[in-house]
Amino acid sequence: MSQEIAVVGSPEFTTGFRLAGVRKVESVPDDEKDERLDDAVERTLDDDDVGIVVMRDADLDHLSRQMRRTAEGSVEPVLVTLGAGAGSGLREQIRRAIGIDLMGDDDNADGDEANS
Amino acid sequence: MAEDVKPTRKNLMEIEDRIDLSERGHDTLEQKRDGLIMEFMDILDQAQDVRDDVETNYEVAQSKINKARAMEGDVAVRGAAAALKEHPEITSQSKNIMGVVVPQIESSKVRKDLDERGYGLLGSSARIDEAADAYEELLESIILAAEVETAMKKMLTEIETTKRRVNALEFKLLPDLRENQEFIEQKLEEQEREEIFRLKKIKAKKEEEEKLEAEEAREEAELGEQKVTADD
Repeated sequence: MSQEIAVVGSPEFTTGFRLAGVRKVESVPDDEKDERLDDAVERTLDDDDVGIVVMRDADLDHLSRQMRRTAEGSVEPVLVTLGAGAGSGLREQIRRAIGIDLMGDDDNADGDEANS
Repeated sequence: MAEDVKPTRKNLMEIEDRIDLSERGHDTLEQKRDGLIMEFMDILDQAQDVRDDVETNYEVAQSKINKARAMEGDVAVRGAAAALKEHPEITSQSKNIMGVVVPQIESSKVRKDLDERGYGLLGSSARIDEAADAYEELLESIILAAEVETAMKKMLTEIETTKRRVNALEFKLLPDLRENQEFIEQKLEEQEREEIFRLKKIKAKKEEEEKLEAEEAREEAELGEQKVTADD
């Protein structure tokens, strides 16, 4: 079954993806993110036609704790975050499963290994 | 709890069997966990490269669309975005890594020629085309990142599950079983000691009785002999 890519975020963030042909877009203005972003992400995650959800990493801070956990742990569709600090959820999962921070810089990884 | 089991030989044999099975299971799960971690390390190297590509492509795409917005205006960029007719699609197949089913994502219609974009050559500018190109490249790297990161998430979940099972066997089930085994062995030894003591007591009592009987018999015999001598 073929699926599509969805983008959730501010209109400025989503326009570029629409230019590349993405049509599953949930545009939420910056000043409404606290109220509307949860619903937008939930709708996108529930859409069976969506295989990949793209968001800005900073937008995850506007989600409720439960929705953030659901989005970060989701495999179908999978969430890909962009921007500084992206992949923090995955990093945390690695730290939990393996016991050391493998995605950190070398100094941090060594430090964590020494501590564990 | 050790006190909950009946201290019988049958239970002891059952517990020994369970310990044996649990130890074998523990070893197998440990090997599986180590194998998964090694496979995960291979994917992690790839994931870090893919993640770097995504970030670089995102910065380039952002700068290009900002330039297009500045030069052509936001309305022109949005207008071009709204005219797109071809939409990128993804299909996923699966492959198996040590029992973990991970996806292999294939994409189509991500890269488009100018004439496939739908906004026409006259209705746009080179800057909008460049921005569209950059976002198409970004989408390609995002699709690759999605494939690798899904595989990582699935493997991490499996590693966590396996680790929990190993820990449950190592720190809960096996110690409990060994405690039960020790309890039953101690109880059985105690019962054996009691049995030996009891048998010794019975033996001693029996010997005592036999001794008394022998003495009585001897006394009777002596009395009989004295009687015969007196009669003579």
